[in-house]
Amino acid sequence: MLAEKHGRTGREIGRIAQAVIVYALLALVCVVMLGPFLFIFATSFKETYTLISIPPRIIPERFVWTNYLYILQELPFATWFLNSVLVALAVTLGTLFVDALAAFAFAKKQFWGRDILFGLMLATVMIPGALLLVPSFLITNKLHLINSYGGLVIPSIGGVLGVFLLRQFMQTLPTELDDAARIDGCSEFGVFWRVVMPLCAPALGTLAIVTFSGQWNALLWPLVVINNKKLYTLPQGLALLRSEFQVNYGITSAAAFLSVLPLMIVFLFLQRYFMEGLTVGALKG
Amino acid sequence: MASGSLAMGSDASQLVWQRRRTALKRNLSAYAFILPFLVLFITFNVIPFFWALGLSTLKGDLVDPVKPFVGIQNFINLTHDSITLTVFKNSIQYVVMVVPTAVLTALALAFLIGNRLVRFKGFFRGVVYFPLLASAAASAQIWSYLLAPRFGLVNYLFKLLGLPEIYWLSDPRVALLAILLVEWWRGIGFHVVLFLAAMLGVPVELQEAARIDGANSWQIATRITIPLMRPVILFSVVMGTIWAFQLFDTVFVLTNGGPVHSTATMVWYVYNYAFRYGQIGMAAAMGVVLLAIIMPISFVQMRVLGRTD
Repeated sequence: MLAEKHGRTGREIGRIAQAVIVYALLALVCVVMLGPFLFIFATSFKETYTLISIPPRIIPERFVWTNYLYILQELPFATWFLNSVLVALAVTLGTLFVDALAAFAFAKKQFWGRDILFGLMLATVMIPGALLLVPSFLITNKLHLINSYGGLVIPSIGGVLGVFLLRQFMQTLPTELDDAARIDGCSEFGVFWRVVMPLCAPALGTLAIVTFSGQWNALLWPLVVINNKKLYTLPQGLALLRSEFQVNYGITSAAAFLSVLPLMIVFLFLQRYFMEGLTVGALKG
Repeated sequence: MASGSLAMGSDASQLVWQRRRTALKRNLSAYAFILPFLVLFITFNVIPFFWALGLSTLKGDLVDPVKPFVGIQNFINLTHDSITLTVFKNSIQYVVMVVPTAVLTALALAFLIGNRLVRFKGFFRGVVYFPLLASAAASAQIWSYLLAPRFGLVNYLFKLLGLPEIYWLSDPRVALLAILLVEWWRGIGFHVVLFLAAMLGVPVELQEAARIDGANSWQIATRITIPLMRPVILFSVVMGTIWAFQLFDTVFVLTNGGPVHSTATMVWYVYNYAFRYGQIGMAAAMGVVLLAIIMPISFVQMRVLGRTD
């Protein structure tokens, strides 16, 4: 009786010790993963002369807005931000529309060469983006889209994996609804737009998140097609800050923090779509 | 429409003709739906692919109207140019280091978060995912301060622990390691989230049964849980490898390939040779080499995906 009681408390102590270790490690994980964000957030309010103090200060002595005022007034940060918003939104809407149209045909229609075409499309997923960089630039140049929003947006619209994702989803939808709509006199586009698209909302949400965040963070393509500072997107602007203002970490921290903030806010509300988009985004390569 | 044709079509050939017409109409309608996608896909994927293969046999810069044909000379140059050899060495070194590091630490983190004792698993999963929200440019900005010599936080911690000061970004011996550290921080969430999902898919009965049979947690993890997660781990390894070979953004912002090419990667080479040094042929040839590396790995990836679907 007594021994049994002893054994149980012993086991409980072991359990508590284990929980303490587990939570201590998790706290460390939080510090490593979130700490850098909190650190630049704090840094963005620091006065320049405190940035290189030894030992480094984490909390600012005095909170100042000068870094934010600098990037908004002296640098075209607001323009870069707006460019990023416009380009990411345009690419996302364009991709959803173009991919969904194609997915509708691949999922719901019989046509000549359908399976061969789909197989060839999937095979191109293997091609690394860097290989296509130079010819894509030359084509964009021929289309007179260098240094324009069009050059940022048009080549980025549409993706094989978006078509793949939406096709998979559309194949699970019942065809009875489509047929009912057709009998009621709905055109093919009407079936697509009024019947199939609303039902695809979850898959469209995932694709939207993947496309938007990918575009928001893209660096290489903007670097190639844009050299006018007024047309820079945020990642490009941040890269420029690094090369031109290497010493002033207050300014770079403010800019980096503002550039991450929108996705952070979206993430807090739509975490599920980010998690689901993980494998789709992964395949984009 | 169809019934109308039947009424008229006493003639069999007319019926066949009618069927062909509906088939043609159906095909045209389907092609109308894929047309916008197809136009973009051909313009910015198919044509650039073949064009890139062609460019790899030419010599010239972006604006040269005539680019002389040099055959496989670009590829031969790749084998004895000192920068390309450094680039290959860096890429392989980086892949060999980053992939096992990422997968093993992600497994450890997944087991930590997936532990029976842990509540708010969703919160911790969100925490490890969080750095993925930052662009490589933003994370490079953050880490350039953290890794700075003297006043950087990392070196300060090293000093507290009695470790020597490290010039993370300016010492050619450790710069690649610094890139690895930053990329690990930004990308680890991907693997952890996948592993957590796979762990939840392992039937609890199996683990409980093993526990009743006297297996300890380590044995359950290594003999039951991890083997059942194998397809996902393989997927993780493949994706990690593909990304690692295509490393660019973080390098571009943090070190721009330096110091002395110690962080120059294959994509860095493509970008610089095409858009800085005006050697399109060499850039394209490097792109083809990258294709030759990525393609077999991607092939494995598609096979894995095909099986898990």
